[in-house]
Amino acid sequence: MPVFTVTVNGRARSVTAEADMPLLWVLRDRLNLLGTKYGCGVGVCGACTVHEDGRAVRSCTVTIAAAAGHAYTTIEGLSPAGTHPCQRAWIDEDVAQCGFCQPGMIMEAAALLKTTPAPTDQQIDEALSSHVCRCGTYTRLRRAVHRAAATVATER
Amino acid sequence: MKAGHPSRRQFLKSTGAAAGLTLAFRVQASAKQAAGQPAFEPNAYLRITPDDRVTLWASKLEMGQGVRTLMPMMIAEELEVDWDRVQIEQPSPGGKFAGIELHTSGSDSSSSQFRTLRIAGAAAREMLVAAAARAWNVDVSACRAARGAVTHTPTGRRQTYGQLATAAAALPVPKSPALKDASAFQLLGTRIRRVDGLAIVTGKAAYGTDVRVPGMLFATIEHAPTLSATLGQFDALAALRVAGVKHVIPVTRGIHPGVAVVATDTWAAVKGRRALRIDWRPGPYSTFDSDQFLAGLQREAFDRATFPVRREGDAAAAMTSAPRQIEASYLFPFHAHATLETMNCTADVRADSAEIWVPTQTDVRTLQQAAKVTGLSPDKIRVHCQLVGGGFGRRLFADFVAEAVEISKTIGQPVQLSWTRQDDMRHGYFQPATAQWFKGGLDASGALVALEHKTQNAALTIYDMHGGRNIWTHAPPTRQIDPDVWGAYDNPYEIRHLRVDCADATSPVPVGPWRAVEYPSTVFGRESFLDELAHLAGADPLAFRLALLPRNVKTVGEYAIDRGRLARVLETVRDRSGWTQPVSLARGRRRGRGVAANVYHADSYIAMVAEVSVASDLSDLRVDRITTVVDCGIALNPLGLEGQTESGITWGLSATLLGKIDFRTGAAVQSTYQDFRVLRIDQMPALDTHILDSHARPGGYGEHPVPPVAPAVANAVFAATGKRIRTLPITPDKIHA
Repeated sequence: MPVFTVTVNGRARSVTAEADMPLLWVLRDRLNLLGTKYGCGVGVCGACTVHEDGRAVRSCTVTIAAAAGHAYTTIEGLSPAGTHPCQRAWIDEDVAQCGFCQPGMIMEAAALLKTTPAPTDQQIDEALSSHVCRCGTYTRLRRAVHRAAATVATER
Repeated sequence: MKAGHPSRRQFLKSTGAAAGLTLAFRVQASAKQAAGQPAFEPNAYLRITPDDRVTLWASKLEMGQGVRTLMPMMIAEELEVDWDRVQIEQPSPGGKFAGIELHTSGSDSSSSQFRTLRIAGAAAREMLVAAAARAWNVDVSACRAARGAVTHTPTGRRQTYGQLATAAAALPVPKSPALKDASAFQLLGTRIRRVDGLAIVTGKAAYGTDVRVPGMLFATIEHAPTLSATLGQFDALAALRVAGVKHVIPVTRGIHPGVAVVATDTWAAVKGRRALRIDWRPGPYSTFDSDQFLAGLQREAFDRATFPVRREGDAAAAMTSAPRQIEASYLFPFHAHATLETMNCTADVRADSAEIWVPTQTDVRTLQQAAKVTGLSPDKIRVHCQLVGGGFGRRLFADFVAEAVEISKTIGQPVQLSWTRQDDMRHGYFQPATAQWFKGGLDASGALVALEHKTQNAALTIYDMHGGRNIWTHAPPTRQIDPDVWGAYDNPYEIRHLRVDCADATSPVPVGPWRAVEYPSTVFGRESFLDELAHLAGADPLAFRLALLPRNVKTVGEYAIDRGRLARVLETVRDRSGWTQPVSLARGRRRGRGVAANVYHADSYIAMVAEVSVASDLSDLRVDRITTVVDCGIALNPLGLEGQTESGITWGLSATLLGKIDFRTGAAVQSTYQDFRVLRIDQMPALDTHILDSHARPGGYGEHPVPPVAPAVANAVFAATGKRIRTLPITPDKIHA
């Protein structure tokens, strides 16, 4: 089996895997980073969202071969203590119910705020409408993104 | 309903099991359960240890509804400790906590525990105060419990609960601990954020799928592609050549037969599965077509109306003399649960024992299935209930537990079985498709005098798994219809002549409880039909309902339905939603409002107004706003209740506007969130949720907001367009048709 090198949460990791193994399974089954969740395997639910060179991507649709040489951030690497503005806002707005989709939601929102520091409702909807929350936390999600944006603005 | 409770002596005892104070008690889910419980069998424990830790072994499972936050609040309110110091431990059934029964369904968590957890907290507090008074040789009335310590008020002497706990354990358990009046609550009724928020947002919350056991392999199953198909020959060679694949074995203990591929990681298992060559033999239901079945539901199925559900007056006679009559039927299709975390279970079966890690709503059936498949006695099996990534009724089944246990037993190694999204969507227990038929008669003044309702219900396969049978070894069960169909039986309105019957809608599709069980389908029909009757009478639909709600308590079997409470939520939603004002106009769009109401198990009351807009060319439909007014008794945690309302509305809107499962040639057509669509954030309407002050006992809530959503939207669509949509989902093509 070939060996690939990817950077995950700031560390270079060497992974022996079939070239077509999705990054999602590399993270979960090889690197034991379990915060990134499997929801659909075909890129339509967003539960497995991570950052690739700062951009939100679906780790279930990126093969390890394509991932090699890129730098990834997972929910574990976003802010280990849970102090990223999105994480704080999620707690303050009491967003999560079952919580299973939330790591993916947070990674998407964190990427959005990098490019769009003060998103409108519509921009939030555009970014997060590719995600599924079966518990229906959407109303609070929107509020939490606005709150995180406000935090980023005041802390800048 | 009032849940009966056994005498205090039976209900609560000090076990003296370890250092500190341990109280064992029993939480009853319902009066029926209490009646069937001859001896004291504790299912919950409260322990205070010398290190000042307060631990509750909880009998309810967290699946997003917030019980792990609410239960400590109930204990802490009476015990007088900071609520976040109450740690919840998840008991494993059997062993040390024999008799504990974890089973979380029917929105009963808060209502069943409201009294018992407070009694346990109050009893512990009184024992701790008594221990302090004895140690100081003072009167208990001079001592005060607060924030985890007892203080002797005159002298300021103070001991923590931990210091007092062992001495307290030797004292008698008070038979009638004094409970606070709800008006004195300091914690209950406040807005408390969930306890595990930080774990979730940092990705540290561990669900069933995150279980890792040393030496564990990963399994996936190729299930029978059509209903009732059986496994013929299969060729495992190509699969076994995939790097990492260790075993390819048949699996027979789930709902559907299958072939499991077991590998060193998930991806190897998936690739091995793709390489399988399997000869499936079609069964008697491998041609099942849901369109044909649904068409039958609206025709001949009603002729199988064999179960009388409710009778008031003489509906048939009153109908013939009613000057105006209409009839209509409403259709609710099959639905998947589609929990975001797919079904999974980790099992380690050894020769003489087994361990199971599973995200489940029921340890009971988990243990039953594991015992059945392994042949081990239940006391040799440890079940670790994991955090649940969505339940909604699907995890009341243990079919995937049986499969994981079977695989581990066969290969002699620990294994984690994970269903793919496609497996999960196509091979679950579905919300049964049913039709509801109504006929109503108005008198000369436009008042509703007679109503006939033929509802339908499918024999829920849950009973079958409960009995431990694989359904395909038997014909689909028939005539096991529960006559107490929720929403039909407990119709809350005063209708002088009412006749409700239930017909069998059992199909070859495995079905089970889905969020709110029968209410979504029965209430969609009932509240849509009331709207049709109101329009026939020329009445305002909300006022029409209020006219059917004398301010009294209606007793139907074990339900005591307080119509005054339902009237109050309707009046409040009328005022809050701007019901009496004309809808605002928007260029190029037609707008309308619709109302619906429901009573959940006689103890939670809800009214909802939906405001929709439809493009003038009827090309799209948007739900713009939903106003909800709720009386669910004492609001224990309003923040949680609002969250459940938002959640239930979203669930209801998915079924109202988007999703359904079709079967063609015996197979579910939809298999991902792309074709079984659920609501996304961009379709989320503005919500206004108002929880009324109430002194009534807390009612169930997790399911309660789902049922009124579909009829409120359907009625709003009618108001906007004049189109009456009687089949879900309500899609623009139906409005256009």
